[in-house]
Amino acid sequence: MKEFFSSPKIKIFLSVLLVLIMLSVFTRNVDNNVVSTTLNTITYGLSKVTAAASQDQSDGKSYEELKAENELLSEANRELRTRLIDYYSVKEENTRLWKFYKLKKEHDDFTLIPATALRRDSNDEFGSFTIDKGTASGISTGDPVLAENSLIGWISEADAYTAKVVTILSPQTSVGAVDNATGDTGIITGSAKFAEDNRTMFTKLNSEHKVQEGDIITSAGTAGIYPKGMVLGEVIEIGYDTYDTSYYAVIEPYDDISKVVDVAVITEYDGQGEILKPD
Amino acid sequence: MSDRSNSFFRYLAYVIEIIVAFVLATTPHLLPELFGAKPVLTVCVALTAAIFEREIPAMIIGMVSGMMADIAYTDSIGLFTITLTIVCFIVGYAANNLIMATFPNFLLYAAIAVGAIFMLYYLIAFVIPGTDDNWTYFTNHLVSRMVQTYICSIPFYFLNKFIYNSLTPEV
Repeated sequence: MKEFFSSPKIKIFLSVLLVLIMLSVFTRNVDNNVVSTTLNTITYGLSKVTAAASQDQSDGKSYEELKAENELLSEANRELRTRLIDYYSVKEENTRLWKFYKLKKEHDDFTLIPATALRRDSNDEFGSFTIDKGTASGISTGDPVLAENSLIGWISEADAYTAKVVTILSPQTSVGAVDNATGDTGIITGSAKFAEDNRTMFTKLNSEHKVQEGDIITSAGTAGIYPKGMVLGEVIEIGYDTYDTSYYAVIEPYDDISKVVDVAVITEYDGQGEILKPD
Repeated sequence: MSDRSNSFFRYLAYVIEIIVAFVLATTPHLLPELFGAKPVLTVCVALTAAIFEREIPAMIIGMVSGMMADIAYTDSIGLFTITLTIVCFIVGYAANNLIMATFPNFLLYAAIAVGAIFMLYYLIAFVIPGTDDNWTYFTNHLVSRMVQTYICSIPFYFLNKFIYNSLTPEV
């Protein structure tokens, strides 16, 4: 043993060990150090070849397995695409419903059916249009129709999947209304004279009315056809009808009726069909 | 074949063995990962070759194998290089002077050497720096790596025994 520790072998061993320790210390945490660079350079080609060979194996999957996986992924892709379309539909509907959410919150007795204008009657100068919901959705003739900001019409005809809306611009319309500021009552009905400008009339005002420009007109709800308090528009002008010998006010709705797309139909509300006495 | 050429081919065989072990250990997807780890095959080669060689050749084999192991796992010269150099030198000396190079002796010495190398690695690389969850690393990876390395060294033992017996100059 004593001979071993004094032999050249142990000296060689200790020398090599010392060199290795020094190399280890000096190359630690040094990027691109000489030793690792040299060794990496030597093994680079080999690693490259083996890695490429490994990649060619495609994770060791056979053609049939890859084909099956491809079909599975294609199917998943189709499903995701369908879901994406559904997502856009839901998102769009959500956007539409959001407009009426506040109204529903204020009138929890309302049953609202959201709908979209399918087409407009080009021959009707009073802005009538057809919506994409009908009796199958619970809509019936006479139901009030709301746009985002105001009551804009009523259902004149309804079949299973569509319904026709007559607007408040039409002379066919007759809505009992009240001036919120003064309490004056009258009838909202359309007129060919004003319809083109997206306006309607607040007629049958008595001679002592106090209606002024800027007043907000809402539905009176006395006939049980329209809910009470639905906004119809704002007074922009007062006039006198010589033929009818009564005063009227020109009302501008808060929605551009000729351009309305999203609407909601009120199919049920408290007081529907009940005739109330005027306040 | 002359003694010199026998020695040359034997060392060449070790070199090829180390390279093959390195390739097997580092090629992605080639060897399966069992319990979160792969065996360090270059350690297997060094330990099994050292038991048949004398001190200096054993030390060189250990040093080269250790460098390859370090390159594969840490990208710098470090623990495996130094520990395998020491272990292989000692084994080379012991196998020629103190113990017989038999299979039972190999199993005993390989168990001690593999355990010592990996525990030292765990201590220096994880415990001393205070790495979080170092116990999880130990239980989930290191134990598996130790066991696999130990088991894999057995076929390398027989391979190197064959190489040694075939390519050793007759005394």
